[in-house]
Amino acid sequence: MYDAISIEERNKPTVSLVNEGFFNDAESASRSQGMPALRYITTKVPCESSIIADIEAGVDEVIDKIITALTKPLTAEEKVPKPKETEKPQRIIFKGTLEEVNCFFYQRGWTDGLPIIPPTEEAVKEMMTGTDYPPDHLLGKLQSRNGKTTIEKIAINAVMAGCLPTYMPVLIAGTINLIESEPGFSGYTTFGFSTGSWAPFWSINGPIRNEINVNNSSGAFSPGNIANATIGRAIGLIVKNIGGVRKGIEDMGTMGDPMKYTCVISENEEASPWEPLHVELGYKKEDSTITLSFPNCYCQHIPYSADADGILRSIVDNMPRGMRYNIVITPTHAKNLFREGYDKAKVKKYIAEHKLVTTARMQAMLVTTARQTGKGSETEFVQLIEDPRFIRVIVGGGPGAFIAHLVGGGATPGKKEIQKIELPKNWAKLVAKYKNIVPNYAKY
Amino acid sequence: MNVDKNGVTYEVLSPWAEADPIPYRGITPRIDRLEGRKIGLLRNPKRAAEPVLKVVEDRLKKKFPKASFSWFANLKPNERAIAQDIKDDFEKWVTGVDAVITAYGD
Repeated sequence: MYDAISIEERNKPTVSLVNEGFFNDAESASRSQGMPALRYITTKVPCESSIIADIEAGVDEVIDKIITALTKPLTAEEKVPKPKETEKPQRIIFKGTLEEVNCFFYQRGWTDGLPIIPPTEEAVKEMMTGTDYPPDHLLGKLQSRNGKTTIEKIAINAVMAGCLPTYMPVLIAGTINLIESEPGFSGYTTFGFSTGSWAPFWSINGPIRNEINVNNSSGAFSPGNIANATIGRAIGLIVKNIGGVRKGIEDMGTMGDPMKYTCVISENEEASPWEPLHVELGYKKEDSTITLSFPNCYCQHIPYSADADGILRSIVDNMPRGMRYNIVITPTHAKNLFREGYDKAKVKKYIAEHKLVTTARMQAMLVTTARQTGKGSETEFVQLIEDPRFIRVIVGGGPGAFIAHLVGGGATPGKKEIQKIELPKNWAKLVAKYKNIVPNYAKY
Repeated sequence: MNVDKNGVTYEVLSPWAEADPIPYRGITPRIDRLEGRKIGLLRNPKRAAEPVLKVVEDRLKKKFPKASFSWFANLKPNERAIAQDIKDDFEKWVTGVDAVITAYGD
């Protein structure tokens, strides 16, 4: 739709054809770009169809509408649309019981479906102790609504998610990561909304990991740790309530993704023989950082053997196809690889050189392989991953042999993907106050 | 105001961000006919976009034999052509057509 708007801005009339399921998305795109009267026609051509009979039937049904859309004179409203009414946001939005607050927020689409903690003045004030920024400090504007991203709005969503105040520096850095994400195809503009159901995956490095107890051991990706659970959740709410990303309107994920509830891990730097992710990306070991990518696929497997050959071959064989690759391997595997001379760069090089596909199976376009276009060979092999920088290796996970892959999208190497976490002046005091909030399981 | 059985009520802040109003612009006047005009066909990289526009082209050629057609592809989804290195080609192409039909494959 964006190109149609560019064309209309150049005084050429347009009509856009969209699948009927994308009506709301098309409307949102045209309104958010300031051209609400943009003419588009919904068709019954199935999404990404390659079946000519279906395409012909869908087009034949709307061909007269296409002609009309390009020739029918404009209405007064199309010539000069009525200005959008300015929102008059209220700071205090509701008063009620816990159940009523939850019902109110849920019915406005402000939650992820799980119950929220009511963001009262007192709770938000306590959350604000996690930052030195004033409440009205503006970090920027978050797509798709270009919502004004103030520190107080982050704090409100953090309260709703159940965060501790010590997570505020992480949430601020994570939100900056989204705001400054690479524009276009490889950033939040695509991976925040697209049919691929990409989920933000947050890797936390540096001293803050231990100060706020981000789990990087047993069940790191499972529920049960407040930092892992609520940091991802809070940023999901920030995307929804500050970015204005609504499911089925802007977020057109076809299948959806459970990782959108939360997907947070820290690297087990103490048990790793290698330099941590943030040092690879140019930061000091003593810096704390949050790194972003957008997987839409999570899978696990065990290695064929405990040595480098067995670990690396199993990674290559089990790796799903994607555009960016996160591989989480246990400290034990990392040490075994290190003992055989592998650093992270060599691991990535091995994977890139050994993950091969036939030239016929390589993607010729976004969703089409060379085989479908009649090109390529089924006997000639090429690297699936041409640049090892598209692979990220993180050390984490508990006792056991499983290896995890989080594969999907992410930034072009060298573009925005990591943000330094800045701590408030009272950090040591805050950590002392909240650090001992950890699960203490009963023995039975 | 309602209170729960413990006499508790919550006064809560809005999580919904403010946003500056977007100035709305109108769309461009239409052309009076397709016959004899040059129609642009703009596709993105999604699989259905090109065949959809090929069928559109075929049907319009039959209805308007004197219409001509010109294709352009923006192969980066969610990234305006004017923001890429194809900008100059895009500008030239837009200048050369009378109206444009776009398809996105979704």
